[in-house]
Amino acid sequence: MDLRVIESEEAELSIEIAGEDHTFMNVLKEALLETEGVGAATYDMNPEQSGGQTDPILTIKTEEDTAPLDALETAARNVRDKTDSFRTAFEAAA
Amino acid sequence: MSEDYEVEFIDRDERDARFVVRDITPAFANGIRRAIVSDVPTLSIDTVRVIENSSVMFDEQISLRLGLVPLTTPDDYDVGETATLALDVEGPDTAYSGDLVSADDRVEPADDNIPIIDLKYPEGADSPQRLEIEAEAVMDHGKSHAKHQGGVAVGYRHLQRIEVVGDAADWEDEPNILRGVIEDDGELVPTESFDHDLSKRYPGKEVEVHDVPNAFVFSIESDGSLPVSDLVLNAVDSLADRADELEQAVQL
Amino acid sequence: MVPVRCFTCGKVVGEHWEEFKTRTREGDDDPEQVLDELGVERHCCRRMLVSHKDLVDVVAPYQ
Repeated sequence: MDLRVIESEEAELSIEIAGEDHTFMNVLKEALLETEGVGAATYDMNPEQSGGQTDPILTIKTEEDTAPLDALETAARNVRDKTDSFRTAFEAAA
Repeated sequence: MSEDYEVEFIDRDERDARFVVRDITPAFANGIRRAIVSDVPTLSIDTVRVIENSSVMFDEQISLRLGLVPLTTPDDYDVGETATLALDVEGPDTAYSGDLVSADDRVEPADDNIPIIDLKYPEGADSPQRLEIEAEAVMDHGKSHAKHQGGVAVGYRHLQRIEVVGDAADWEDEPNILRGVIEDDGELVPTESFDHDLSKRYPGKEVEVHDVPNAFVFSIESDGSLPVSDLVLNAVDSLADRADELEQAVQL
Repeated sequence: MVPVRCFTCGKVVGEHWEEFKTRTREGDDDPEQVLDELGVERHCCRRMLVSHKDLVDVVAPYQ
């Protein structure tokens, strides 16, 4: 997973996440929106056939007192928590 | 902020299962579905060395058919690792997937009765048709080739709830078809139990169907390379690995 | 030869071909019922078996 920062400001961050697709990005986007201090989060990716940028670009806008990069870290941990708790629930039922 | 999910099985089989997950967001549900289809690696024949092929099909056609045969996948194989299989059949006979002999006895065809090619002993020929090959099965993801997809027909739909809103008009005796699983008094009822027809379960009533928020019924069918439960858990792990990787990358 | 998998969904249908053939083409069973019993449920998979004709015997003499 290679990260490339495209734009970085105090309350806004655009970052390219190479090698990922909708599978992970959509889960991550949603986790970001659940994160405290995040005002907006979205990602943009284009199909292979477009010939242009194909790796997803994640854009995060945060409210005051929250650094976008910290929010991203919290969201990643949140995804991890979701998978752990899904695994526990699934194994309990199986 | 982590949620607690609730999982309940409706049908459970090695190859075909249905279960309800509650309190799951659509995005996470879709992440799991997509990961099952494209990110769970399975073994599948990828390289074929043809020693003899005097059958009526070309080497390439035979290789394609062999590639599509699902192979049971042990959990200690990594992506890119290979297993060797061989097949040697002489006519008049049919070569079946079950004739594949594997060097690793944990890797074997999940189905034994798939015909690969019919071999003859043509009249007047001095030898029968013969197929002798050696093949390398490689571990890879569903996104690189559909033969590596462990799950076929993987999907989810909302769990539904039926509300009786009144009596049906006398002239209405049309069937009211619904497919899926409904929740009635906390009990999960698959619609096939009433022939998918709501007018049979609630005769003479007018009903409304509502989706239960954030409750999804997953239905997952495996091609036999992995049991359904492994398919789901491996998919969840692949998401977890990426989350970890991102967290570490951000910390740097 | 019968396709190994359903073109649309990827279910392995080759596995059921010989039983389907013996019961419906050589026997008198109802194809609908046989497919149900074999667990070939979706119509994408059902058409794979219903519409198949083995041609190996036809091609063999010209090899």
